[in-house]
Amino acid sequence: MELTNQIIFVAGLLFLASILASVVSSRIGAPLLLVFLVIGMLVGEQGPGGVVFDDYQTAHLIGTLALAVILFDGGLRTKVESFRVGLRPAVTLASLGVVITVAATGLITAWVFDLPLVVGLLIGAIVGSTDAAAVFYLLHAHGLELKQRIGATLEIESGSNDPMAIFLTIVLVELALGLHDNPGLDLLVEFLLQIGLGGVAGLAGGVLLGWLLNRIRLTPGLYPLLAIAGALLLFGLTSILNGSGFLAVYLAGIVLGNRRLQSAQNIRRFHDGMAWLAQIVMFLMLGLLVTPSDLAVVAPVALVVAAVLILLARPLAVVICLLPFRFPWREQLFISWVGLRGAVPILLGLFPLLAGLENAALYFNIAFFVVLLSLVVQGWTVAPLARWLQLEVPPRSRILHRTELDLPGQADYELVVYTVEEDSPAIYRPIHRLNLPKGCQVAMLIRNGRPVPQPEQEVLTADDALYLLTPPDKVTELDRLLVAEHGPARLEEHVFFGDFVINGETPLVALASAYAFQLPEDADPQQTIGSYLYNVFRKRAVVGDRVNLNNVQFVVREIQGDRIVQVGLKIRRPERKKQ
Amino acid sequence: MIKIADLISEDRIACEVGANSKKRGLEVLSEMVALADEALNATTIFNKLISREKLGSTGLGRGVALPHARIEGSTRAHGAFIKLRDGIDFDAFDHQPVDLLFALVVPEHFTDEHLQILARLAEMFSDAGLCQRLRSTNDPASARQLIADWDDRAD
Repeated sequence: MELTNQIIFVAGLLFLASILASVVSSRIGAPLLLVFLVIGMLVGEQGPGGVVFDDYQTAHLIGTLALAVILFDGGLRTKVESFRVGLRPAVTLASLGVVITVAATGLITAWVFDLPLVVGLLIGAIVGSTDAAAVFYLLHAHGLELKQRIGATLEIESGSNDPMAIFLTIVLVELALGLHDNPGLDLLVEFLLQIGLGGVAGLAGGVLLGWLLNRIRLTPGLYPLLAIAGALLLFGLTSILNGSGFLAVYLAGIVLGNRRLQSAQNIRRFHDGMAWLAQIVMFLMLGLLVTPSDLAVVAPVALVVAAVLILLARPLAVVICLLPFRFPWREQLFISWVGLRGAVPILLGLFPLLAGLENAALYFNIAFFVVLLSLVVQGWTVAPLARWLQLEVPPRSRILHRTELDLPGQADYELVVYTVEEDSPAIYRPIHRLNLPKGCQVAMLIRNGRPVPQPEQEVLTADDALYLLTPPDKVTELDRLLVAEHGPARLEEHVFFGDFVINGETPLVALASAYAFQLPEDADPQQTIGSYLYNVFRKRAVVGDRVNLNNVQFVVREIQGDRIVQVGLKIRRPERKKQ
Repeated sequence: MIKIADLISEDRIACEVGANSKKRGLEVLSEMVALADEALNATTIFNKLISREKLGSTGLGRGVALPHARIEGSTRAHGAFIKLRDGIDFDAFDHQPVDLLFALVVPEHFTDEHLQILARLAEMFSDAGLCQRLRSTNDPASARQLIADWDDRAD
């Protein structure tokens, strides 16, 4: 009894500390996961907490469960639109890229320390997959929005490269144990089974789960639980059948996240919380599991592994994998640097321990050390690097003063609420003259805590809560209408996109005659500016891509499907003389 | 650096103009610009401005528009500024009605100057304080003075 209460007390304390730590960490820019890990270490056997935890089996169970939840949530957030620019580069990175990273890291490590090849490669495989989910929390905390091509590539890569690293680790553990006499064919079959089964089960499971969610009538609170139950079931079943459960839940998440679902906001918000919970639990636990003094022993090896991985193997993999896609060098540099390692390597570090491999603790400790280094060195510098390389675009929506609500049984519209601020562009304007985007409708106005009978006739004042019915894709326009532009001046729309907006359908020749610039040699004068830009970026143009034609700069401003519909025209100014 | 105030004179500034469409607004501006130079013709200017609008609205957002064109015949840049009584729909990206319009017409051979003047105009009208002051002015002389003051501060 007494013990139960104490455990609950400590668990509550740990959660609270971790959640509050998120506030502090976003202030100082430290990666939050690092903070969780450190809290775990402090509570652990050699910290003030003195809690001894070394049950690898339980750790593996909790870690796997947490990872499945995180990947499912990652899938829910991944938008299919981002596939246009990100899918192929990301899949290449997640397959070939992992192999190159593992091979390069493994070979060099084995050579430097004169280790058997299989040991070196196993170390490489354990640290082989990225954890960009961490990066996205980090970027989000700094209010950065990356160019879609980079964001999409990193996001999809991180969601889909774990199965490859897991597969390689399992294979290498088995090889180290001498379980394979004739590795070649065996492994190929196993690999195809993992990926194939994982893929099919993920897609089918996602469709089925979506259908179920839209069919069944439940208490609203149960929809998110139904979703997560489905995801766990899918993970377990696929894994039992020797498929990749991680790939399956990630894909199922993508399928669900891109369908019109009942209770979609509800499900999304719940999973956002669940993903946080999973991150906290997993990192606290991994911090508890490690024995900090053991890390000192592996420090020399781990430092070399980390250096090889970060400075050599990852950049090599990125450059080779992105070769056919011709990403600009800044973007390649950024993607190379954002090979952030997270929970997966530590989790994979447990595999040799569970398999009873010789010197197994070594792998775990090396993995732990490498992840720590990566979180500190890369995690801390991701946001400044993005700024320095100018890879940001102005945020599409100004979320601060907007809340979205589900409409029961209605998937085509959502209800959004704006709180009118003093600096809102719409303040003191009659509501019926707001020029709302097509399809939007005023639902209600609450002033001083009371609904106003005929909102259309009212003039907006500060602190009004305006409820609007809107198709989901009009929210950005509503934001522009109702929320003031904030953020660094550099990112204001005008500075970023230029002063004038040009239709994507405008022929180049018309622009050239209006602004007297030389037509590029590779362009057909009758071609539209939109299709010209689209081709310059090899059909992977994203918002924020720009091309200079003499003193005029054209910036991709809006893309619909595979057409550039709006282009910003920016005048390049000569350097102003300073007084 | 060219001064915006040098592009306009008081007879090319009008406040409280009643125009109810984009077309009408551009007509008023064309007629005013044509006053500046005998070589300029209001219809030609209007056609040029309209064809520029077809490439994409020259609305800057927040109720301001900068219609502009290069035109053969004139020897220097000319502007005209009007303030409308009621905003008109100008197809601006933010869908807001436009009530401050500054038209710029430059000679055909102005290439870089054209861009630099436009950039300066855009910078001027992105000054929310200036727009507010212009909106609350009702005579051309003080509107021109406001623009001249901005020029001095910006240099």
